[in-house]
Amino acid sequence: METSFGITGKGYVIIAADTTSARSIIKMKTDEDKIKTLSPHLLMAYSGEPGDTVQFAEFVERNIRLYQIRNLYALRPAAAAAWIRRALANSLRSRKPYGVNLLVGGYDTASTDPHLYWIDYFGAMTEVPFAAHGYGAYFALSLLDRYHDPEASLEEGLAVLRRCIDEVAKRLVIDPGKYKVKVVDKDGVREVEL
Amino acid sequence: MARRYDSRTTIFSPEGKLYQVEYAMEAISHAGTVLGLLAKDGVVLAAEKKVTGKLLDLSATKEGGYGGSGEKIFLLSSNVIGGLAGLTADANSLVNFARTAAQQHLLAYDEEIPVELLAQRLCDMKQGYTQFGGLRPFGVSLLYAGYDPHYQFQLYRSDPSGNYSGWKATCIGANNGTAQSLLKQEYKDDIEVKDAIGLALRTMSKTMDSTTLGSEKLEFAVLTLDPVTKQPKAKIYRPAEIDALLEKEGLAKKDDDTEMKP
Amino acid sequence: MLHQFADRFSTTSAQSELRRAQALAADDEEFSDAAWGSEAGLGSLAKGVPSFSVPAVSDPSAFLRLHTDDHADPSCRIKIKHGTTTLAFRYQGGVIVAVDSRATAGSYVASGTVKKVIEINPYLLGTMAGGAADCQYWETYLGIHCRLHELRNRERISVSAASKYLSNLVYSYKGMGLSMGTMICGWDKTGPAVFYVDSDGTRLKGDLFSVGSGSTHAYGVLDQGYHWDLTDAEAQELGRRSIYAAGHRDAFSGNTCNLYHIKEDGWHFIGNYDISKMHYEGPGNVPGAPGHGYGYDIRVEGRSSADVAPVAA
Repeated sequence: METSFGITGKGYVIIAADTTSARSIIKMKTDEDKIKTLSPHLLMAYSGEPGDTVQFAEFVERNIRLYQIRNLYALRPAAAAAWIRRALANSLRSRKPYGVNLLVGGYDTASTDPHLYWIDYFGAMTEVPFAAHGYGAYFALSLLDRYHDPEASLEEGLAVLRRCIDEVAKRLVIDPGKYKVKVVDKDGVREVEL
Repeated sequence: MARRYDSRTTIFSPEGKLYQVEYAMEAISHAGTVLGLLAKDGVVLAAEKKVTGKLLDLSATKEGGYGGSGEKIFLLSSNVIGGLAGLTADANSLVNFARTAAQQHLLAYDEEIPVELLAQRLCDMKQGYTQFGGLRPFGVSLLYAGYDPHYQFQLYRSDPSGNYSGWKATCIGANNGTAQSLLKQEYKDDIEVKDAIGLALRTMSKTMDSTTLGSEKLEFAVLTLDPVTKQPKAKIYRPAEIDALLEKEGLAKKDDDTEMKP
Repeated sequence: MLHQFADRFSTTSAQSELRRAQALAADDEEFSDAAWGSEAGLGSLAKGVPSFSVPAVSDPSAFLRLHTDDHADPSCRIKIKHGTTTLAFRYQGGVIVAVDSRATAGSYVASGTVKKVIEINPYLLGTMAGGAADCQYWETYLGIHCRLHELRNRERISVSAASKYLSNLVYSYKGMGLSMGTMICGWDKTGPAVFYVDSDGTRLKGDLFSVGSGSTHAYGVLDQGYHWDLTDAEAQELGRRSIYAAGHRDAFSGNTCNLYHIKEDGWHFIGNYDISKMHYEGPGNVPGAPGHGYGYDIRVEGRSSADVAPVAA
């Protein structure tokens, strides 16, 4: 029942993910952070096959960090997303593919605009104004078609996210529980309380 | 004495030198001059062509391709032009490597390779040949004139040892010392491309051995931003365009000393 | 030749990086035997990268499935031991680790006196659920590496690092049939710590975990009785009683309960408690004991839900 959301607005991207770690019918943990900060202006929410998720996220984290150490500047969101997508696409045709779905959100300091990428474990990628993974997508995408505003202030963006979370809690058989919410804008990454 | 340490690139001499690398650099200081100028709104490259003569078939440079005669100035990537001084055969191999590296970056990151990273890729390779046995270093120095969103317009220079550095104005090849001291006097920090073109041509005319300047002795290129798309746009001048440019700058030769005129 | 050379020093291609890494690993081989004298059957331990041979069949996990799946084929010869309840939690006074002791193979109770807590070193415990052999082998192997870490770095390995080592290791065998669900528990510079590691490659840091077929039953008692400020006696009693609950309700768990307490000076074995005895008489004269059996009938003896019968007029 893993669910994650990404919403862009005026100069920012919001990334939200549930915090539950489940094993069969049991919640093993309810405060797991499934959003990694890859660089000063880049966030990635990950979900999917247990084990693969953290391994892949840490693999990406280390490589993005390595690029930043080597070149002094971080990869731009578009370049980072392209690299991550390729890593997944290569993995798909390997002996042991990573079963990980991603939302990559970042703020491009060079062109001063926010970017959000939806990536699945097949290596499909698309840039979108809003995105969702997991069962939450079935409820949230139509909602976001109706309520998303590309020029929304952060408060308005968070209010739309609140709508998504409430809708999923109301209609999905199993409530994903608490969410962790992070924002990236020109000032970098920060966590926010809903 | 030095003989004993000459033949192997990978062995230090007792004075701590790598002779083969120094010889390579020496070879370049006799090669055709290549000059680069960084302006506020672009980068300029000018190069002295060594292979000339009226029997040389330059028909391919008149139409098609991306311009230039293919001796000194090359398009390495949509956002980087390279100016090469040294052994032409080695240079061709490096151009091929640079283009491959640029496309590999494009494939992996879906963006043009940052200029400094391209210089690093070539220098990693060049350095390898100063350390690992049995091979000769590349007898080539390069100028990289490029643009990327991280640092905008940039100009880099690399030598056969694998060193590279960034410049506002620099020169490699024959008479590079003279050219650089001229540039040092004339260069202004907020120079624009239109003025940089004139400065580059004037400096070239002063440093080149021949008394007159013409398209058969000169290659020329400019990298600017397209005013509409805001994307880098490389322009490598065709021979006719170079002559027109020289005319405009008042550096064209007189008609009577053109050897190719009938 | 030139291609190879250019490739070798280029940092552009991922393949060349892989080749270089492989070449480095291969270089390592030169030293293994001569430099170490004898590998004493622990060859792979000498190197940083753990490795383990797999059976000489084309698909090891399919082979394993074919010969061990006792759900699909009850008559198959190899039955892997499953079915367990284990729990561990962190609280103010350290870590409590409690497990049952029943080993089942299919519907057969293979043993009632299994040690499901693996004493990795005086400060680290590992619990065992899933494949008994997998847990025993890899947690012993982990113990060897924890000791090597001590020798090399002159300090004890953190619980976080030890659990990460195990999780990376089992992750490298993902999909090849390993079956483990374990808690790595201990006390390090950061204080008491519990990590859950399983053969999917999941690794979670937390305050309270239970693993095994009886874990749901254990959680029922554990979650309701747990809070950070438990006294030592209360905490030990909670661990014991939770394992009892699972041993009573889950057919694949039972026999006895082994209880450990980890404090700043390392782990202490508290005791072994018979589940049946706990049901009827309680755990005996131990700190935190309620003074009666844990069983429902015993606990509510003499109490009735019936309304008091109206007195006949």
